[in-house]
Amino acid sequence: MNKTLVVAKWEYLEKVRTKAFVIGLFLMPMIIALTSILPGLLAGKEDDATKVIGIVDASGERLDSSLTRRMEKYRLANGNPNYILRPIASGRNVDLAAACAEADDKILVDEIEGYVVIPSTILQDSVIEYRSQDAGDIRLASRLQSNLRTVLLEKKLAVKGLDPALAKILRAPFDVKTVKVSKSGAKEETDFMRTFLSAFIPLMMLFNLFITSGQLLVRSLLDEKSNRIVEVLVSSCKPVELMSGKLLGLCALGLTQIGFWALIAVAAMANFGSMSFPPANQLLLIMIYSVLGYLFYSAIFIALGSPVTTEQEAQQINSYLVLFLILPIALVMPIMLQPNALWVKVLSYIPIFTPTFMVLRLLIKIPSALEIVSTIILLVISTYVMMIAAGRIFRVAILATGKRPGVREVMRWVREG
Amino acid sequence: MYNNTRMLKVSNLRKDFATIRAVDGVSFEVGRGQIFGLLGRNGAGKTTTIRMVLNILQPDLGEILYNGNPFSEEVRNMVGYLPEERGLYQKSKLISTILYFAQLRGMDSVKATSEALQWLERFELLAYKDKKVDELSKGNQQKVQFICSIIHDPQLVILDEPFAGLDPVNQILFKDIFLELKQRNKAVIFSTHQMDQAERLSDEICLIDHGRVVLAGQVREVKKRYGSNSVHIEYAGDGTFLRSLPGVNNAMMYENSAEVQLEQTYSSQTFLSQIVGRLEITKFELREPSLQSIFIQTVGQTVGEKPAVPA
Repeated sequence: MNKTLVVAKWEYLEKVRTKAFVIGLFLMPMIIALTSILPGLLAGKEDDATKVIGIVDASGERLDSSLTRRMEKYRLANGNPNYILRPIASGRNVDLAAACAEADDKILVDEIEGYVVIPSTILQDSVIEYRSQDAGDIRLASRLQSNLRTVLLEKKLAVKGLDPALAKILRAPFDVKTVKVSKSGAKEETDFMRTFLSAFIPLMMLFNLFITSGQLLVRSLLDEKSNRIVEVLVSSCKPVELMSGKLLGLCALGLTQIGFWALIAVAAMANFGSMSFPPANQLLLIMIYSVLGYLFYSAIFIALGSPVTTEQEAQQINSYLVLFLILPIALVMPIMLQPNALWVKVLSYIPIFTPTFMVLRLLIKIPSALEIVSTIILLVISTYVMMIAAGRIFRVAILATGKRPGVREVMRWVREG
Repeated sequence: MYNNTRMLKVSNLRKDFATIRAVDGVSFEVGRGQIFGLLGRNGAGKTTTIRMVLNILQPDLGEILYNGNPFSEEVRNMVGYLPEERGLYQKSKLISTILYFAQLRGMDSVKATSEALQWLERFELLAYKDKKVDELSKGNQQKVQFICSIIHDPQLVILDEPFAGLDPVNQILFKDIFLELKQRNKAVIFSTHQMDQAERLSDEICLIDHGRVVLAGQVREVKKRYGSNSVHIEYAGDGTFLRSLPGVNNAMMYENSAEVQLEQTYSSQTFLSQIVGRLEITKFELREPSLQSIFIQTVGQTVGEKPAVPA
């Protein structure tokens, strides 16, 4: 067997078994699932018991009874009413302070969950209060708000001598539907959150992939250097075979990861159908940028990682690269808002940003063909150059021990290679 | 013709590191069926020489020929190497580690597997074949590394300090395999600073000091060169005065014994008469000097810094 393949097979089989890899494989989808689904689930959790709510109405307009009627429409899953409203005081001359004190006592003995205070000024400033020990029930708050708005509107219409039933027409909800028009002319319904997630998640995955494999690469180089296995390796095969074998093995590792995640994504879509999948030609471009980016970053990791002699240095280098890679993730929002901005286009041509920026842009709004072709060409060239440089540095640096060589010395290796 | 060509021919090697000349004009030859001892103190230039022979480092000057040819990719598959610093992949299985190194030397995996199992059995490691390397003792890890360096049946085996850290039982095991390799017509180079081992094992030696060859040749011949007038005595009493006696060139003192190098023309009988009565002598013998004393004699005289690289 070709020695490059021997190295690649070894690197793949040994790394695919490591805890770090297996954890990374499962952790990433789990984090994404947790961050994107969990808050919704938690916020959307239904009450499981009827809540008793007090109501103090100082408006003198009997707003409490219409509000009660509306609030008691909500049902729990078992068919019981979600809310029961209990009048505490009503009328224009209600002593608010006394009524509130009475209601507070009821809260403390758990007779009521909380209570609504409708002040006498309600028709002027439209402000009510909801007082409870648990102020976090967003669902209840929004239901109160929505129903009270209707009740007030009906009251105001009646005052003007209009039919209160008009309230239903006036309060009819409307939505803005955003439609993404893609090149093919197909119109695709979307919303902001969905676009955000479908751009953000693949980007996070790419980021994770680049970083994990980079770390694995630097760590294995460091290991082999510090226990001098590398001497046996480079006496057995050419340094270039060793390096390309490592890259190949790592690439296979990356594809395993992507494949696994893709399976999870497909399974998730089958169940939730919440994520849109880009069309095939777009996917192909994304793959091209990802693979090129993978090779480019790996070459950087080799160039920076092979002169490393200690664990601390390895971590330093890693954190620099994380900074570069994380930038597009931090910029997902601004790029979504203005995908055609000059700065976005300019940054797309800087090789270290090209893969992530272009993948992100492909997911949001397809850039012009000229841009795609020219960035790919530029990326291919820079990957090639980077690979050559990395190979030259690798050849010298893997045998170097002791003090880490300075930038000037490393540049000399590149030139003399 | 082929048989007349020596397995390895190293001529006039030189290697500089920054301001240090690590290897300076080293030449030697190693034939098939020969065990070659590369001797020298720590930092003498042995390992650097070995790395150049293995094509890990490029010499600044000089030539290395394998079977009469310069280095080529095939050479990689016909050499075996046990580095001085012991390192293996700690988290990998024994058997897969051995197979990896065997395949890197061009073996196919079927052949490598059967060979690996045989070697593991020979080294009493068969039960551990699916264990991870870091579950093994240091000595056992060294055995695994040794297997990795000879499994592909190399023509040229290079072992850097192979005995360091081995217990006596395993030293004998290693030595037996050395002799087997020799019988099977392989060329074996080993470096050491333990002279007794070199003496017992090598056919030829090359002593390097400060990057230069200071002594080379067949062990027997080297000893003869130094041993024309050497005395081994065993005694009771304080023998420190021996060094300062007239006619004494050099004396290696051990616990209750000494190896004394006399001046070429000095009579051993005169020497004996000088020590009778001052020590209780239990043994007095004329014999060849040990490599140890030759080593001290040769290297001990040239203590000093390594020569700086001429500008």
